Amino acid sequence: MAANPTRRAVLAATAVLPLLVAGCRGTQALGTPPRPAPDVARLRAAISAEEEMVASYQAAIRLLRDGPAAGTGRGPVTSATLAGLLTEHQEHLRQLRSRLVPGSPLAAGSAPLPAPAAPGLPAAVPAAVSYLGRAEQAASDRLLSQVPHVPASLAQLLASISASEATHVPVLRAVGGA
Amino acid sequence: MRRATTAGTAGKVAPATRALQAALAAEQVAIYGYGVVGSHLNGTARALATTDWTAHQVASDQLTALLQARRASPDPAAVAYQLPHQVSTAAQALDLAAALEDQVTSAYLGLVGLDEPSVRMLGARQVRAAALRGAAWRGRTLAFPGLPASARAGHRPARPG
Repeated sequence: MAANPTRRAVLAATAVLPLLVAGCRGTQALGTPPRPAPDVARLRAAISAEEEMVASYQAAIRLLRDGPAAGTGRGPVTSATLAGLLTEHQEHLRQLRSRLVPGSPLAAGSAPLPAPAAPGLPAAVPAAVSYLGRAEQAASDRLLSQVPHVPASLAQLLASISASEATHVPVLRAVGGA
Repeated sequence: MRRATTAGTAGKVAPATRALQAALAAEQVAIYGYGVVGSHLNGTARALATTDWTAHQVASDQLTALLQARRASPDPAAVAYQLPHQVSTAAQALDLAAALEDQVTSAYLGLVGLDEPSVRMLGARQVRAAALRGAAWRGRTLAFPGLPASARAGHRPARPG
């Protein structure tokens, strides 16, 4: 029973992206079909990591709104910055989930919303922003390390998300994360 | 931006070689383009342009060596390139720098689509490096550096059932 959705999830993960990316400038070399042995577990791990990131950002934004820093004047700028980064994580999550076909447990639309709790997030705002920065770097590194182990199409998505997350680090540093 | 000879022989060339040549071509455009970028900037921004120009020189040398190791002839740089847009102000120079990094990012994402793990990792590291430079010039981040919009629209598996 379980084998079928897994196999179909594999197809979803491998089928589309190389053809589409091959159409863009500088990536004409993607004619070979992806190998048929992708690791769906790696995709699920990436989805879980992205869910945690979304939850951490949501908690940090709540902290700015309701916590001790609320009304200090620094909050609105930081809050808007975090909201922008959160949006990108939500897009990452949507894309990663879309690599699983409908009906599989973590597929787009069928997965539960990320848990609102982010247990590791410090309660003070500067420390929370620093925490997010470290989490972004770690997430970026982890995705990068997966690149050789997944089918080509998923590798490209993971590499792109890894790059996006790396670019969040200096943004967080600029708003006061140490 | 790609030379006609490359396109003419593309059918016989290994995918990895083609992708490496495409990345090299993107680096060559960036090297040329950063010269234009730097000439319209001053101070810190100009220093940053110089730093990035050097990074592209190093990357270009690395790709050249990789191609030679595969017994492929690296396509030489052109004397000049048609840049994405005209530059006559500092703001336009920043836009150009971001655009140069975008096309470098896309080219390296092509390497990530190959089978060889070492080439993939080179591509992925350079995607990240180019995205970081691009975000710095653009002043904002992107959710999917290097991926065309068409590749990230909602999609379904190619084969139903």
